[in-house]
Amino acid sequence: MPVTVQTPVEKWNGAVREVTLGATKADGGTRGRTVTVGGSATLPFLHFEGAIPNRPVIAIQVQDIDPLDWSPTLRSAWGDVTKDVLKWAAKAVDLGADIIALNLRSAHPDSGNRGPEEIAETVKSVLGAVDLPLIIYGPGVPEKDNEVLVRAAEVAAGERVAIGLCEQNNYRTIVAACLANGHVAIARAPIDVNIQKQINILMSDMGLPLDRILMDPTTGALGYGLEYSFSVMERLRLSALQGDGMTQMPTICTIGDEAWRAKEAKVSQGVPEVWGDFAKRGVVWETITATTLLNAGADILVLRHPQAVENVRKAIDQLIA
Amino acid sequence: MIVVGERIHIISPKVKAAIESRETQAIQALALNQVGAGSHYLDLNIGPSKKSGAEVMEWIVDAVQQVTDLPLSLDTTNAAAMEAGLKKVARRAMVNSASAEQVRLNNMMPLAAKYGAELIALTMTEQGIPGTADGRASVALDLITAAAEHGIGSDMLYLDPLVLPVSADQAGVRETIEAIRVFKQLAEPAPKTIVGLSNVSNGAPNENRGLINRVFMVMCLGAGLDSAIVDPLDKELIEWAAIVENRDSSSARNNILIALYDSVANMEEFDRSIVDMNDPEQRDVYKTIQILNNEIIYAHSYLKV
Repeated sequence: MPVTVQTPVEKWNGAVREVTLGATKADGGTRGRTVTVGGSATLPFLHFEGAIPNRPVIAIQVQDIDPLDWSPTLRSAWGDVTKDVLKWAAKAVDLGADIIALNLRSAHPDSGNRGPEEIAETVKSVLGAVDLPLIIYGPGVPEKDNEVLVRAAEVAAGERVAIGLCEQNNYRTIVAACLANGHVAIARAPIDVNIQKQINILMSDMGLPLDRILMDPTTGALGYGLEYSFSVMERLRLSALQGDGMTQMPTICTIGDEAWRAKEAKVSQGVPEVWGDFAKRGVVWETITATTLLNAGADILVLRHPQAVENVRKAIDQLIA
Repeated sequence: MIVVGERIHIISPKVKAAIESRETQAIQALALNQVGAGSHYLDLNIGPSKKSGAEVMEWIVDAVQQVTDLPLSLDTTNAAAMEAGLKKVARRAMVNSASAEQVRLNNMMPLAAKYGAELIALTMTEQGIPGTADGRASVALDLITAAAEHGIGSDMLYLDPLVLPVSADQAGVRETIEAIRVFKQLAEPAPKTIVGLSNVSNGAPNENRGLINRVFMVMCLGAGLDSAIVDPLDKELIEWAAIVENRDSSSARNNILIALYDSVANMEEFDRSIVDMNDPEQRDVYKTIQILNNEIIYAHSYLKV
């Protein structure tokens, strides 16, 4: 006897807000195209339930200083271009990046400690070399972040780049720079829904429009808190769909940073043989972390390895079809 | 609501100093303030006081009894100090507290039995505080049974579900409230229930703590809460307890509190249509209800949005 099963469909009151990165000439920028993320009115990929107007996108991470400490798997995949951020960014474009995530690591006190003027030149030249929308990350040290990101925001004025990171105890300077120069700010919280909402409130309280905030709930890689990231992102998405305006920002996940920090991705010697082929392991780690968080609601995935980019793009193609 | 005044607590630097130098008048002033504010019991928390616990407890019980007849809640984990205090108490005493942890059970229950004192029993084991109302109820049953074995009737017990901060365990708030409801049904005569109220707002910004405490209190009272350890000088708190107890419907705000109390009592959803969202006070009460019910995600600045 045939059994008919009715697919349960939830009726939601809210949706994820749409955020656009990049500005073309028409909007006062120089980007060749813009990227709009968010907008989902349902849980990830439940096409039968609600609208999913924009597909998740891939940002490829490039650094402004050759990352000698990166896994040999990553370094051999990219080759020489990591010595020159402009070549690196161009190759990332060729690989089909939707966004270039420029990491200003050279400003870190341990990696060159470049000052704001040098950084400004880097940002200008990357903007000149590629016409995709940009995400700009500081070196991750609050004082240096504030110093260099303010200049970066100024020289990128009008380009509607995303700038990070804003955290609960360090957000004012970056938000002010985004406000003054028409950019989008990234709000990061330490895998904690309450702090995520709080930082979102604090940033919007400074007058930053809600369609200029992305939230980064912090990525835990496979084996290193992935399930916590998943449940925090799920909770934020449910809250967004239930209509809480302070959790409706699109979500960005720094997959590459976290996956390649894992011992499994980094260490080739002295590990159990069952861990398998080292050359593949890191890529698998990054791919699994990314595809898992896609299903938790990631809108922007920041990736490192070209093969992971290809794998994740295929996954998105299938999930969005 | 039975008000247990919490202001004589070792955590306050003033109280600590007064205890250290045995300033009888300072302690008596604190006691009298709380009596005047309508306390029904006074809690005397001297900490573990390892060195001179018995002597401190004797001194402080004497000092307070010289100025008031209110029953005293003796608050220490030090069994020798507890017994010294119980010997000194002239009228009713309350032992604060036992739990289902073996040491605290074995120390405190026999003392409460021996001196005919009431007993606060925390639903906590060596494994911690159960996350759900059912988990706490199961510990509460063990506590009721253990008390009965010591000859302590269920009407002498004050069961405390242990309140956790909404900022740290938002989903746990509703479980705590449900635990109160279940506790009342666990024995005949019904055990009493008690909470350390202000813990619900621990970690929240100071300017929001009072409101969180008050709304939470109304919800707990709706679930059948008998008693709370509170600051009796918090006038709004005492006023709100009276509003729901007397069903004082003289303002729109009061009607919301009564409706909130009734909704918890009847296990119904709170009817938001009675809230005037243009009135800042009503709006803030409603937002706090949503936060405590885990309907929207807590953030320190939740009142701003």
